[in-house]
Amino acid sequence: MSLLSTLIPSLSRSGANGEGGPAPARRPRYEIEETEAAYGLTVFLPGVAKDGLEITDEDGQLRIAGRRTAKLPEGLTALHVESSDAAFELVLSHDGSVDAGKISAELKDGVLHLTLAKAESAKPRKISVN
Amino acid sequence: MAVTMRFIHYTHPNVRGIAPATFSGDRYSRADIEKQIDWLFGTALTGFEGSARDGQFPVDLYEDKDNTYVRAELPGVDRGAIGVEIVDGSLSIQASRKGKSGETESTVSFSRVVSIPDEVQADKVSASYENGVLTVTLPRKEEAKPKKISVSVN
Repeated sequence: MSLLSTLIPSLSRSGANGEGGPAPARRPRYEIEETEAAYGLTVFLPGVAKDGLEITDEDGQLRIAGRRTAKLPEGLTALHVESSDAAFELVLSHDGSVDAGKISAELKDGVLHLTLAKAESAKPRKISVN
Repeated sequence: MAVTMRFIHYTHPNVRGIAPATFSGDRYSRADIEKQIDWLFGTALTGFEGSARDGQFPVDLYEDKDNTYVRAELPGVDRGAIGVEIVDGSLSIQASRKGKSGETESTVSFSRVVSIPDEVQADKVSASYENGVLTVTLPRKEEAKPKKISVSVN
């Protein structure tokens, strides 16, 4: 619980980073699963392909940005639109409990799955008793 | 990549698809309004804009002179579990996603019925699933396509 609570969504919005854009970025749905050695992060990014995806880790903050790359064909009339063209953005702070060099990511069918290996200091350590 | 579609076309004169209100006056009904309000409350309270949860998912409806297109955001669903059915004037989409967390397996199911214009060639409907977005293309019937008729004036 204590380590999981460090993975809190940051309060920064796209405006703070200086990104203007047509619509403010929206936060995608995500799920976090913790195992002994790593965190599993699943982010739902419908319509995002590898070329529209950007993952960066800086200063203890993991940032995932995704944009729908498929453009609609010309000449379409919109009858009813519920989805949004706004880009996705998710920022999670981990403050060093994640080993940034060992992050692996897989994007399939609009679902991004990240495996964030825990930093050595964050892993539970067995202490032997003499 | 083609989606395996269960294709069932049957006539049901009294079925009213619970559709996103198309704002075209005559199709507006109390059921549509309630559904819209429920959906609005759902998304307002959760703060997850336009994402799939509790069996609901965002759907877009487009058309051009040849086809009607239905686009559904369904990230991570099992391709084999996507079902698309057409019932007079309505398109029904079903999908499910299997999740595993630790030892337990869970299944999330999605289902939605959307109103579509009636003049659709049911046997020529196709669908594709890419990057988590299902796009169903419904060709319009020949008679329904806007046709230019030249009239010669004597």
